[in-house]
Order: sequence, then C-alpha cells, then structure tokens
Amino acid sequence: MLQLVQYVLGGLLQGAIFGLLAVGFSLIYRVTSAINLAQGAFCILGALLTGSIQDALGLHVMLAGVLGVAATALIALLVGAAIFVPGLSRLPTSAMFILTAGLLTFLEGASLVAWGSQSYTLDAFSGERPLRLGGLLVPTQGLWLLGIALAINTGVALVLSRTRMGRAFQACAENPMAASLMGIGVGRMQLLSFVAAAAIGAVAGVAIGPVTSFQFDTGRMYTTFGFIAAVIGGMGSPLGAIAGGLCLGVATQLAAAYVSSLFSNALALVLLLAVLLWRPSGLFASGPARRQDVREEKRVNRPPVRLGAQPGGILAALAAVLLLGVLPWWMRSGGLMSSVIITAILFVSVIGLDVLMGFTGQVSLGQAGFMAIGGYTASVLALQYDVPPLLGTLCGLVLSVACAVVLALGTVRLRGIYLAIATLAFSLLVDSLTVGLEGVTGGPSGLVGIPSFSIAGFVFDTPLRNFYLAAGVAAVVLVLLTGGMRGAFGRALQAIRADPLAAAALGVRVGRYRMAAFCISAALGSISGSLYAFYFHFLSPEMVGTQISLQMLAMLVVGGEGTLFGPLFGVAILTLLPTAFQPLAQFKTMGAGLLLVLFSMYLPSGIFGLLARMVRLLRPRGYAPAPVAANGSAP
Amino acid sequence: MTAALDVIGLRKSFGGVDAITDVSFRVPAGTATALIGPNGAGKTTLFNLVTRLLPATAGRIAYFGQALDVQPPERIARMGLVRTFQTARVFPGMTVLENVLAGAHLHVRSSTLSQMLWAPAARREEMGLRARAEALLDLAGLREASGSPASDLPMGGQKLLEVLRALMARPRLLLLDEPAAGLNDSETAELSAMLRAIRAIGVTLLVVEHNMALVMDVADQVVVLDAGRVVAAGSPADIRSDPAVIEAYVGRLDP
Repeated sequence: MLQLVQYVLGGLLQGAIFGLLAVGFSLIYRVTSAINLAQGAFCILGALLTGSIQDALGLHVMLAGVLGVAATALIALLVGAAIFVPGLSRLPTSAMFILTAGLLTFLEGASLVAWGSQSYTLDAFSGERPLRLGGLLVPTQGLWLLGIALAINTGVALVLSRTRMGRAFQACAENPMAASLMGIGVGRMQLLSFVAAAAIGAVAGVAIGPVTSFQFDTGRMYTTFGFIAAVIGGMGSPLGAIAGGLCLGVATQLAAAYVSSLFSNALALVLLLAVLLWRPSGLFASGPARRQDVREEKRVNRPPVRLGAQPGGILAALAAVLLLGVLPWWMRSGGLMSSVIITAILFVSVIGLDVLMGFTGQVSLGQAGFMAIGGYTASVLALQYDVPPLLGTLCGLVLSVACAVVLALGTVRLRGIYLAIATLAFSLLVDSLTVGLEGVTGGPSGLVGIPSFSIAGFVFDTPLRNFYLAAGVAAVVLVLLTGGMRGAFGRALQAIRADPLAAAALGVRVGRYRMAAFCISAALGSISGSLYAFYFHFLSPEMVGTQISLQMLAMLVVGGEGTLFGPLFGVAILTLLPTAFQPLAQFKTMGAGLLLVLFSMYLPSGIFGLLARMVRLLRPRGYAPAPVAANGSAP
Repeated sequence: MTAALDVIGLRKSFGGVDAITDVSFRVPAGTATALIGPNGAGKTTLFNLVTRLLPATAGRIAYFGQALDVQPPERIARMGLVRTFQTARVFPGMTVLENVLAGAHLHVRSSTLSQMLWAPAARREEMGLRARAEALLDLAGLREASGSPASDLPMGGQKLLEVLRALMARPRLLLLDEPAAGLNDSETAELSAMLRAIRAIGVTLLVVEHNMALVMDVADQVVVLDAGRVVAAGSPADIRSDPAVIEAYVGRLDP
C-alpha cells in the first residue's frame, strides 16, 4: 500500500513536469491556434543557459535561473518577431506545424554547436536530501516542481479568463481580423504569448534540470510530452494542461512500476491516441470545441509548379539515365558513393511523404515510423528466420500498409493538426517499441549482421550493386508516381488538398483517396526502411526515429512539395552537404532547421519551384503565363 | 414530361424558426429553372436541402422520380446532380486546365494502376478529356489562361471556371448557386450565353440568382421565394408583372 502511494506520489511529481511543459502549448494555442513544436527547445535553452550562467558567475541556481529565463525570453523575442509572428500572418496552420518543427530543429542544432552533445544537470533548488513524510520519501525538488506548476498554470488560467488581456488573447485566436478591427494589436499579442510561453518553458526547464539530465536534443522529448499532456487535458486550457499532465504522470509511473518501464512511454502514446479518437478536444476542455478551423480558411495557396511539356523532355530523361549509369564509375570514393546511395534510398521515402503532404495536403510527422516497420520486419525475418530479403521487404510493406489503414480508419474524423499529432504519436510509439522490445529489435543498440539485399540468388553486396538497386527502385517509383499524379488520381488528391468539400461535390470519395495516399506513403516509407537496413547491415532505433521524420519533412519542403522530383534536391542537399564538408557536420542539424524555416516561409515551392521558374524564363519561345486581364473572358 | 426535380411540401426549421415553410415546385427535365427571392428568403437553405447537405424537417424531394435521401456529397455527384458554390471554390493549387479536368473525375475509366504504368489506353483517355476540357475553355474564353494557376483568374473567370468544372462531370441536373455574383456586365452576358448553351445540350438547370437580367435571359421557369414560401412561379414574363413578386422585392405599393 505504502508502495502504491509512493508510486502515485512519483507520478504526481512527474505529472507536474508534464503539466508545466503543457501550459506553454496551451497559451500559444489559445492566442494563435497554432501548435509551437519548438516549445521544448526553449525549456532546454533555459536550462543550458542557467547552467552556463551559474558556472560563469558562481550564483545560486535559483538566481542563475532567473537570468537564464530572462535570456531565453530575449531569444524568444527575437525568434518570435523574426519568424513566428510573420509566419502566422502568411501561413496556414499545417505549415505553421512545419515551420515550428524547423524552429525546433534549428534551436537544437544551435544548442549542439554551443554546448556540445554531452548531458548536463542543474543543482536542486534546496539541497538533494529528500523529505521524509511518514514512510514516504519526497524529493524537495519535486515539491518545488509541483508548486511551480500549480502556480504557473493557475496564474495563466486566471490571466486568460479574468483579465482584459486574456479576452484580447481569446479574440486573437477566434478571429484575428475582427480582433484587429477592434483595435487589438494582434501581432503584439501573438508575440507576447510566444515569449511568455518560452519563458514558462525556460522556468520548466530550470525546475526539471535537477531531476533529470538533459542535452541539446532533449527538447524534442519535452515537446512531445508537454504536447501529449496538453492534448489529453484539452488544448488551450491551462488547467486542463495540469490535469492532463497529472493523469499522464500517474498513469505512466504506475505502468512503469507494475508492468515494465518499456511500456510507460508506449502507454502515454496509447493514451494520447485514445483521447484523440474518443474526445479530440481533450478530457478536461471546457467550452465548445472550435477554432481548429478558423485558420483553416487560410488555404495553402502554393502556386502549382508545372514544367509543362518540354521539347527536350525525352532527351533530358535519356541523359539522366546515362548519368545514373556513369555516375558510380566516376566517383569511386566510398564516402560520396555511400551518400548517393543513401540519398536514393531516402528519396523513396520522401517521395511517399510528398504524395501525402504535397498532393493530398496532410501533414505527417510519422514517416520514419513506417521506415522502422519496414526495416525491422525485413531484418528480423532475415536474421531469425532466414526469410529472403525480397520476401521480408514485402512482409514489412504489408505490415506498414496494415498499420496505415488502422491509423487512417481511427483518425478519419481528425483534421489538420490533430491528424499530424496522431502521426507523431504513432512514430513515437514505434520509437518506444523499437527501443523497448529488446528481445526482438536488439533494443537501443540495434540489430547487427543484417544480410545484403538479394533477388533470386543475386546478392547486392558491393557499393556499385547497391547503387544500381537504390537508384533503380527510386527511378521506378518516380516513374510510377509521375504517371499517377499527372492523371485523374493525382488531380483528385490535389483537389482534396485544395478544397475537400468542392472535391466531394465532384464525386471524389475524399476519405478513400486520403486513405490511398496514406497507404502509398506508408508503403514507400517501408520499402525505403528495408533497403536502408539491407544496405547498412545494421539498424538502430535512431536511424529510423522521429528525428528522421522531421528531417524528411525538411528534405521535402526544401526540395519542393507536390513536385515528386523536387524532393530529390532536398534529400541530396541535406545528405550530401554534411558528407562533402565534414568539418561542418556539427552544423548539420542547425542548417536543416534553418533551411526548413526559410523555405517554408519564403520559398514554399522549394528548389524545384525555383528551377522551374528559371526554365520557363529561359525557354526560347519566351513563354510566361500571360497575366489574365481584368476582364479575362472578354472576346 | 418527367421532372428532374420534384420538391414536395419541404420544410426546414432551425431551432423552431422556419427557414423554409411548405415549399413545393418542380423542375421539368431539360429546362432552366431560376430560384429568386430577396435576401433571407431561404434560397441558400433550399439549395442545401436539395443538394442534401442539410436534412429537411419535413417533406420530400424526388430526383428523376426517385426519392433523394440525405447522403454524402460524393454520392449526390455520382447520381448526376452537380453543384457550384456561391463563392467560387476553384482549386487554388492547380492550373486552370487541371481544374476543368478534375471535374471529369467520375468519368475516368482507366484505373489508377494503368495511369501509373503510363498505359497507352490511359494516355488516350487523358488526351480525350483534355480535348474536351480545352473545348470548354474555348467556349468560355479562358483558353489563353489554361496553364496559369486557377487562383490567378479574376473573380469572374473563377466563376466561369467552376461552371466548366461542373460541366465536365456531365451532370443531369446542374445546380448553380449565384453564378453571376461578383461578375461585371460583360462577364454576366458571357455567362448567360454559356448557360443557354448548356441548356441547349439537354442539361437541366436550377439556378439561384439575384441578377434579374440573367434570370430573364436564361430561365424557362422562375420560382420566387419570400420568407421561406413560394410566392410565385411561372414564366419570366409572368413573374415580371406579378404583384406578389414586386411586393416581395420592393415592398407593398400602396395605391
């Protein structure tokens, strides 16, 4: 019994952390109806800054914490004013998701450059010695956490519900246009909420710092759990955030204590999925579920990128094939060759993501989850049951598509961000299973000794053979999808992306096409994951983890969404550049994040769009889409 | 003559307030019927009832003799009942030509697989659709713009484009929700010529419209709605001189 109480207590303390992380999401969502995935990065930034300030000035941790939080707020002010608020005014909600994913990656990368990859801890606020209450052991830092969480969450709730500013915040979320007509400085309010959330995040980071160690990329985990707690409690409600956090904390602690620590993460995600399916507006949300669609009005207005029929199209294709044939003979060196092979393999996965996001308009943060399913299924079958690689790849594909179908059926009622959250939860669930099911997947250290890919006795065991395999698969996928996307299938998907209701009014079965797109992207992710494992002869959870999902998002956006071929540029740049310039490797994460941010804001059609525009300008006939005159239909 | 649409005793109330009260009218196949009425008369509600986006409180609707139930919009489209929207809802991420082609969705026979495999049959079908789409664009004078993004068209162009897109779906009954709203005079004239051409090829039209010039020019039959009731129905010439219509529009003219 005492034991149970101890676990519940531990769960409450853990829950306080989740609640504290969650309130930042709620605050920003309340004001902007956007989800800020970079929230966790500010927690870590605050903690890292506090640590450095303490070391430099020799202050008490709480004093250093105040300075650290202030410094974080200052950074958030710059980031918010330069990126977040301008982004809000021009991007739809789904693109804000991508933008903040880029911010998260960028801030993580910057932390990596500044603080390296080692892990840190902070001093406890009031000593390490736990309090003894009856038979219970209570760490004093836990009490600090609980107190801070309750104070901040209640405070935010009061400000939102009781003050003039709170009502102005609310108005900004409900209807930014009307709010600005009422004289509310919408941009200033959005910036204020962003900075306040970052400061709260930094306080959370400093308060958690003594309890668990952290490093440059722990922010991703903070983002995830804060976000899960916020969704469970009801997005936009600070009190829901703490309630959701406490529920999540107790549930995961009990699961860890009585079942296995492996399942505590999995349980959190299952809980999230259950809440999403059952009550998307959260367990404790008060008031009508709404908003979600307010900003949906701002349609993704990415102009179509069409090269049109090029006179030299066939010649160009022939040249490309020739180049593919000659390329490996020219670059014998191992490193570059390996990067090119990886590029081709990842391209298969990213092109799948393009079908889903670029054409159908659904954000997925879980593409790597399907890579993991494909990779692990094929590897485990090959290692333990001697199943031929081709058959194993097919099994992985079937399993991935089955998962995609289940996920799609479950989330059929979800739209926009909620669907993106579901895919994120799925990917994290796969993450936690690949790490946790040690007996099958080899746990964190992964699987070794995976054989090479082979078809009917022909083994792809040299770089050259692997190159032709990967390039061949990529080319086949590209040709098939180009055919599909230029016809009725692709048009139906794009129609759904642009306007689901209008598409349905033309007879398009929206749900079915969304499902088909999701299955295609899952299948391609799976194939890519299998090839990945067979090429490296090794597969570990972090090779196909959630961070890879985010990276593939960056590759897609940088290359050009909705262009099929474009992602190749994105994949190539983000894969080859770090190889070509080894000394710059530590800037890789930061660079990927920065590119994602810049492209999603300023070049929504990516590198491919840029090239297409140049090709049009250079075209001999000097074709430019004639601007339609005001009375474009006059004779 | 069979009725394309037979609306019988239709009623719709929102929380006790009747938006539509006992509305009956029929749209004979192959004709153009206009639904007019002042703001708040219930035109849009009626439109949504007929396209089965909203369930009726009472009454029924027959479509070519068959009862029309509330069902998802794509089913409605499959039955040949195609609509346009009050604010033009073209697909912004696609070109003008692709927008028109998207309308043919229900009539594409080659499978997705054969499209992916670049099968000659699929290419031929695509070429056929393209030729039809381009012919339609010619008809509306939008051919020049066929390669530009649909969202670059002016409002009038987008409205026309939406009608073309609906035509590609080969509707039996085409419902147009205020097609002339936001169009200037020359664009309206163009639209009304196009609607006459559409009717001439045997498509039944039901048009909700404010623009009387267009209505008089296109409609065979006009149904006037006021405060949720049908106050008059008849040929354009009859309607023009009907005192009930004048009253609905300009109020009672006391002698």
